[in-house]
Amino acid sequence: MNYQTPELRRALTADYAIGLMPPTARKRFEHLLQGDALLRAELARWLEHLNLLTEPLIEQPVPDRVWRAIVARIEPQTLHVPAKRPFWNWLRLSALACSLLIVVTAGLLYNRDSVQYKATLLSGTAQPGLSIEAHSDYLKVKPLELSAVDGGSSLELWAIPVEGKPVSLGLIPRDGDGRITLSQSQQQLIRVPVVLAVSLEPQGGSPTGQPTGPVLYQGPLASL
Amino acid sequence: MIGTTLYPELPSTDNWSEVLAFFEGRTAILTANTDYLEKLLAQCSLGNRRAFETLYRSVAPRLYSVALRCMGRRDLAEDVVQESFVRIWHSASRYEAHLSAPLTWMITITRNQAIDQLRKHRELPLSDQQQDNVADDSPSALDQLGSAREACALNQCLEQLEGMQLQSITSAYFHGLSASELAQQLAAPLGSVKSWIRRGMQRLRRCLES
Repeated sequence: MNYQTPELRRALTADYAIGLMPPTARKRFEHLLQGDALLRAELARWLEHLNLLTEPLIEQPVPDRVWRAIVARIEPQTLHVPAKRPFWNWLRLSALACSLLIVVTAGLLYNRDSVQYKATLLSGTAQPGLSIEAHSDYLKVKPLELSAVDGGSSLELWAIPVEGKPVSLGLIPRDGDGRITLSQSQQQLIRVPVVLAVSLEPQGGSPTGQPTGPVLYQGPLASL
Repeated sequence: MIGTTLYPELPSTDNWSEVLAFFEGRTAILTANTDYLEKLLAQCSLGNRRAFETLYRSVAPRLYSVALRCMGRRDLAEDVVQESFVRIWHSASRYEAHLSAPLTWMITITRNQAIDQLRKHRELPLSDQQQDNVADDSPSALDQLGSAREACALNQCLEQLEGMQLQSITSAYFHGLSASELAQQLAAPLGSVKSWIRRGMQRLRRCLES
């Protein structure tokens, strides 16, 4: 459609101003309006005239609720946020303090129990057999590829100092997974670099206090 | 209920010169207020809440009367006024003083809002009672407009319009009826309705701009 004829522009603007256009035409016209200042001016003139139709209307008192609703719409943050309640604030602060305390305590406990040394013991063919974490007063043993041992035998863990004889640290738990508690002297022993080894011993451990069977796994205990 | 009681009534007097004075006085105040309203709108665009409240107190009764005329129901008209002022607040910065008077701009917002609502409602089938109300609505609205005719310059121009021209323009303006809806409501051929409005509008404009 040619929107350039003044008559047509005027007529279309009049249709739009009075509200006669069907929805699609209305949308198209609104689109035209955006880019056409003269058309906007023409529309404004029509509206100025047509709004005179409201002149005879007598002003009506507006109920207060209308203003309250408007304020609620334009300032939702001041109306919809509940008033501050000191008690809940106090409670929230206390809750925060408590959780902080718990976190700190747990952290301290955890640190006290933290892993100090680690070793992965390898088999003769350099396959990782089991890993060992040294905590302050126990060792945590995790099997990786541990060979099964028959009922008549035990696996015994040894600490082998750089100079000196192997010292038994205890038996590897039967399923390979668990803890070996360390005595004071054993704890002293692993504070310096040592090599750990696992030997196959008769059930209950070496009868001599020194390894008697073959060493199945070994590896250095390294500090983290 | 929509009834004639909902429509504003003129001051109860038989003396037309009084009525005339009433309207003329009011129009004068409104014209004088243009600068004031413009300033308020400018303040609103800067986020001045107090200016907005002043603006509301100044023009809400006027906009409410327009909304009421369009909607015919107080609760619906209140919603329209609410929505209109929210829009005025948010789009005050887009008011173009060189294009239209502030009140015209605000009335246009209100009327558009009302018509949008009416069109939305019209998509729903009307209940019998609503049908009655619609039937009630137009004559009383027209009566009301008719009785205030001589009150302003516009009315001298409206006088020149034929009955059907005036009625179709008024219905379209306040109720946002499309030409085909008007044809249905006025029980007239679509072509006639269109020409009533076109000719009526032309005549109106010629008269107003003369």
